[in-house]
Amino acid sequence: MKIVPLWSDALLILLLALVVAGAWWSRKQAHLKDAWRKVGASGTAMAAATVLAAFVVVGVLDSLHYRPALPAKGDGPVQYSNEVLSVLDALLLPLKSRSEKTYSAPLATHLFAKESLDGEGRDFPRLKHGGVHLGQDLAAQDGDIAMRVLTGLGLGVALWLPLWFWVRKRKIGAGDTAMGSVLGTAFVMLLVAGPVALLSAGYHVLGTDKVGQDVLYLTLKSIRTGLLIGTLTTLIMLPAAVLLGILAGYVGGWVDDLIQYLYTVLNSIPGVLLIAAAVLMMQVIIDTHPEWFATSAERADARLLALCLILGVTSWTGLARLLRGETLKLREMDYVQAARAFGVGRLAIMLRHILPNLMHIVLIALVMDFSGLVLAEAVLSYVGIGVDPNTISFGTMINAARMELAREPMVWWSLAAAFAFMFALVLAANLFADAVRDAFDPRAVK
Amino acid sequence: MLAYIIRRLLYALPILIGVNLITFALFFVVNSPDDMARMQLGVKRVTPEAIEKWKAERGYDRPLLWNAQAPGVAAATETIFFQKSVKMFAFDFGRADDGRDIAREIATRMAPSLAVALPVFALGLFAAVTFALLLVYFRASYLDFWGVVFCVAMMSVSGLFYIIGGQWLVSKVWHLVPISGYAGGADAAKFLVLPVIISVIGGIGSSTRWYRTLFLEEITKDYVRTARAKGLSERAVLFGHVLRNALIPILTGVVVLIPLLFMGSLLIESFFGIPGLGSYTIDAINAQDFAVVRAMVFIGSLLYIVGLLLTDISYTLVDPRVRLQ
Amino acid sequence: MSLLSVRDLSVSIAAGKPVDGVSFDIAPGATFALLGESGCGKSMTALALMRLLPETARIAGGSVRFGDTELTQVPERAMRGLRGGGMAMIFQEPGTSLNPVMTVGRQIEEAIELHGGKGKAVELLDAVGIPDAARRVREYPFQLSGGMKQRAMIAMALAGDPQLLIADEPTTALDVTIQAQVLDVLRDLQRERGMAMLLISHDLGVVARMADHVGVMYAGQLVEVAPREGFFSAPAHPYSRALFAALPDAARRGGELASIPGSVPPLATRFSGCRFAERCAEVLPACREAPPAWRDLGEGQRVRCIRVEAEKSAPATRRAEEGALAAAEPLLTVADLAVHFPIRRGILQRTVGHVRAVDGVSLDLPAGRTLALVGESGCGKTTAGKALLHLIPPTAGSVRFAGRAIADLAARDMQMVFQDPYGSLNPRLRIGEIIAEGMRALAVPGDHGARIGELLVQVGLAAEMAGRWPHEFSGGQRQRIAIARALAVNPKLLVLDEPTSALDVSVQAQILNLLRELQARLGLAYLFITHNIAVVDYIAHEVAVMYLGRIVERGQVQEVLRAPRHPYTQALLSAVPRVDAQGQERLVLQGDMPSPANPPTGCHFHPRCPRATAECAASYPQETRLSATHGVRCVLAGAA
Repeated sequence: MKIVPLWSDALLILLLALVVAGAWWSRKQAHLKDAWRKVGASGTAMAAATVLAAFVVVGVLDSLHYRPALPAKGDGPVQYSNEVLSVLDALLLPLKSRSEKTYSAPLATHLFAKESLDGEGRDFPRLKHGGVHLGQDLAAQDGDIAMRVLTGLGLGVALWLPLWFWVRKRKIGAGDTAMGSVLGTAFVMLLVAGPVALLSAGYHVLGTDKVGQDVLYLTLKSIRTGLLIGTLTTLIMLPAAVLLGILAGYVGGWVDDLIQYLYTVLNSIPGVLLIAAAVLMMQVIIDTHPEWFATSAERADARLLALCLILGVTSWTGLARLLRGETLKLREMDYVQAARAFGVGRLAIMLRHILPNLMHIVLIALVMDFSGLVLAEAVLSYVGIGVDPNTISFGTMINAARMELAREPMVWWSLAAAFAFMFALVLAANLFADAVRDAFDPRAVK
Repeated sequence: MLAYIIRRLLYALPILIGVNLITFALFFVVNSPDDMARMQLGVKRVTPEAIEKWKAERGYDRPLLWNAQAPGVAAATETIFFQKSVKMFAFDFGRADDGRDIAREIATRMAPSLAVALPVFALGLFAAVTFALLLVYFRASYLDFWGVVFCVAMMSVSGLFYIIGGQWLVSKVWHLVPISGYAGGADAAKFLVLPVIISVIGGIGSSTRWYRTLFLEEITKDYVRTARAKGLSERAVLFGHVLRNALIPILTGVVVLIPLLFMGSLLIESFFGIPGLGSYTIDAINAQDFAVVRAMVFIGSLLYIVGLLLTDISYTLVDPRVRLQ
Repeated sequence: MSLLSVRDLSVSIAAGKPVDGVSFDIAPGATFALLGESGCGKSMTALALMRLLPETARIAGGSVRFGDTELTQVPERAMRGLRGGGMAMIFQEPGTSLNPVMTVGRQIEEAIELHGGKGKAVELLDAVGIPDAARRVREYPFQLSGGMKQRAMIAMALAGDPQLLIADEPTTALDVTIQAQVLDVLRDLQRERGMAMLLISHDLGVVARMADHVGVMYAGQLVEVAPREGFFSAPAHPYSRALFAALPDAARRGGELASIPGSVPPLATRFSGCRFAERCAEVLPACREAPPAWRDLGEGQRVRCIRVEAEKSAPATRRAEEGALAAAEPLLTVADLAVHFPIRRGILQRTVGHVRAVDGVSLDLPAGRTLALVGESGCGKTTAGKALLHLIPPTAGSVRFAGRAIADLAARDMQMVFQDPYGSLNPRLRIGEIIAEGMRALAVPGDHGARIGELLVQVGLAAEMAGRWPHEFSGGQRQRIAIARALAVNPKLLVLDEPTSALDVSVQAQILNLLRELQARLGLAYLFITHNIAVVDYIAHEVAVMYLGRIVERGQVQEVLRAPRHPYTQALLSAVPRVDAQGQERLVLQGDMPSPANPPTGCHFHPRCPRATAECAASYPQETRLSATHGVRCVLAGAA
């Protein structure tokens, strides 16, 4: 197999590395440590962090891409498949490969719509994979499902107990509310995950979509897209926002005028339209240069990154303005005046005195923007200016499912699945962001 | 005051020019008209003639910035830049791909957009301020706590779900109003009720929470303590003192949006089939009708700048401390 | 029969009890002053009386009787009737304590309507001495000066015709000449209306001027209660005596000020004995064992200390002789320094005028001496200090240092110490890094690490503290660090911008002692920018008095402070409330300082000057030399 490092993978890994490095560094910074301790002491924040961690694990597993080797033909050089897979795909291979012909309801054994079967009139055909182990004994389905749910619950508890013992034994804050809420959240998640895992071995837990793909698989794959848009966008715009915000605030004069002009212009174009215009143009570029991309995955990845870039360009203005305002205040602070009295240079003052005192704003922006961007992705993809239509995302899922709402009876499961996962992700992000803001913002009102 | 408005309008000009340059660059420099033609006509097997025809139909067959062949002033005017960008300042947006005049289309579509957006704006503001006041009045109680949790939960649901869920429940299950469509006059009401309610519900979580924060910030100020020391009741303090001060950031924050109400809402209009500017935009995006998108960018920026001006003026109306210079 | 009777009042918040068992009485028409340093619980006590405590705090016990009403028991509705009606309150910050979007008149009327008071807003504004009250009622708070806002607050408090006025540091945010006006208004109104007053203050001078009875608070408790005469002639508690001894003034010149070691104990502290024992100079073993009981010293003076007979008099202070005046070559020579800020208006943002913050200031400062630049807020003294260091670019004038003209490369020779100890240290740097900054920037030779330790010791801290963060230090300690940072580059001159005005008086004494000691040891020259006359009297050799961007009088400290010739200097000096000067003749200025954007013609001071003549409005007076060192810019100086 050949490892395919997509650009977005690299950036995501970089981001994780930055987070780890930042965490290690902040251990030595008293004020950061205090603030994180405050986050850590909040029950809701830690429960949200647990949920987010689960999402991140899925997203990271889905960000390790490779092309599997094709079965060797003779002695020739090893050929690689054109399809780019991720570690998550490999783990979920059963889900990915067992696709049906078209729609089927959750846990169904038959397709959703009647079809004319050879010679036997119209009926619901059996699924190729869902519930196939039952054979003809369809009456046993309920029992089988119940069995799997119970075993799954047992499995969940079994996985949770070692965690609980470990925490108790190591006495890592055992008994305090924050650790309790982590354990509680983990318990609930494992109780859900156990039965789902066992059920998905035999059924399509969340049904299948129009082309018969397992909806659970699609939802899990959507997580990566959501995470990437939510984090990379901010990461991409951060350098520009920080640099321009500080420059405008500290240097002032014509530099300030120019930067303010720039962001007023960008701000004055309604966001969706600017994104639409930019995405349309980017689409033209990608379409007219098919030779740049070896695989369709790379093409979709380029579009995803371009979308992050565009979202970043349209959204740096808010942060830059915030940082400019704060810099204006900081530069009048006595410690900046003291540094100037020593003849310390502008750059050194910006780096030593301004930037470190703005980092909490940057961090707050990073976590606060995340949920909004995840939601924005869904809307943009729906409008047709989001990710590549072949990229699996919450937006593309909703968009595809919406067409079928008019059907009688309704195909509701894709929507429900996208709703549930998105809601969990965004709610967790919002709660966590609130806790971070409360801990880091000196002016936060409780 | 008048001098201030004139100055602000003069400031607006360079911004509009900037917007214009950005759109021009995006649409004609990043990609040549040839690229656009090729994409719209299908990348493969497109003849140069077909491209020329496509360009000629849309007036993209001129040089970008300078027409050396044209005589006199026409050297500057017979260009894509002048025809497509400069003319926008005269609200001449040219024709859409379907041949209709964009300016007229925009003019007729503003009314339906406004018919949805205006009630949403007014109701949403009223509801959010009311709820925020309620939460603040009962601050640090269970009502407040669960109210905030509810707001965060509301914020965490994508707008798409509010629309889809609302349409499904109200129109499909209860059959209360038509699922989509639009009619002029009094008939419009039955088409408008659902989109308005859904938009208000969709936005109420975040705005309630935001206003609550503003109120709480205000309530810690010294003058509130003074008002209490006078012997005013908590309600009188909240309505008589805190509300007026907190309304300053709230009002000035939303005033900038008022002109943009003309632009309508992309999602609502397209889901409910309302023939406003929002659905016009979304159709143009889907059909890759560049001329319409450019026109909408221009109109949007213009309205935003008007909004900024209105914001400054509204400051002078609600805040005695602000005098425009 | 007392009007207000407080018994064992306690207030608790999450961290501890900021008020713990406070008892006192106020008779009708009398003034009781609660005196103490920041964090002693005096404001909390006042808020508890009004039941206006912040949401995190609650009354934990005790009783408050107001007339016949038990305030801790009455329902909130009845309490509202009392607030503003029976008892009214005014606050420290007039700038933020009025609703910014409501006219002053409306805010006063609101109180009148609530309590069915007699009279109109205009009459009340008139009563508190606001000129042109009919116009002012329709104005918004931002249109009023600080002094007028505080008067409007008083008018609002009077609206309900209260029997008790609680004044929480009513003049702390005001300039000294305005403070004198406001205190007079309070005093007169109190007399007219027979109103009792609870005055909360940290300022012994204000208390001496206003109070009938004094209660000294420390760490949430009263430690001494006494009638004014008794208290000021013979403070009994060691803490009270230490407060007096820490006050800088001329009598203590050259000597060490008594300072209280350490700082106020944090809220969470659990006490077993006397709360002051840890910092008390006269502590006995018994002090730490049990809380001391109240002891009656006669004539209404009571004290919570086990050993008061030992010494019941104000501590005597040594008086050191002034060193001979060294007629040294001036280290710093400033000539005609000006800083003008442009005012822009109109469509093209043309400059239509200038704020003349500093308008032609000339100074000489010899090595090793202290020149105090004195003035009220807005007079341009801080701007002048910053312009010397080119932190603000001067518009005109020359600055010569040791004979050399300087642009902005005097960094090594001149350094600055700022007013706000919390804003002057970057919270994201360790103490060591903060002190090293200047040495690094100016490439000072030597081992920086060792030098940091040395500097910390020099300013009275420990060398190990280099690794700590600013938030771990108290205000006084931070100011020491700021001094160490300035000293790190071996400057010859320090510009000290109100270095002690954010500090409590006992901590101020520590810093003044340190500055004096450093001057003696290192031969530093100080440009001491301050509004505090007592500090000037204690530490300065020479004084320059600023008014609206210009120096109106300068000279040796004895010349200017003992025999002031400019009417402004005279007014400024007489406005300072003194501990020892009962019934001194005072010269109270009318009105506020005009805007430096639009200064009056002629002598800037003439509209407020009690002795102005027609000549004063004509042109700005030239300096009249009264001695080799004493100069005044007033037309009267030459005549007299």
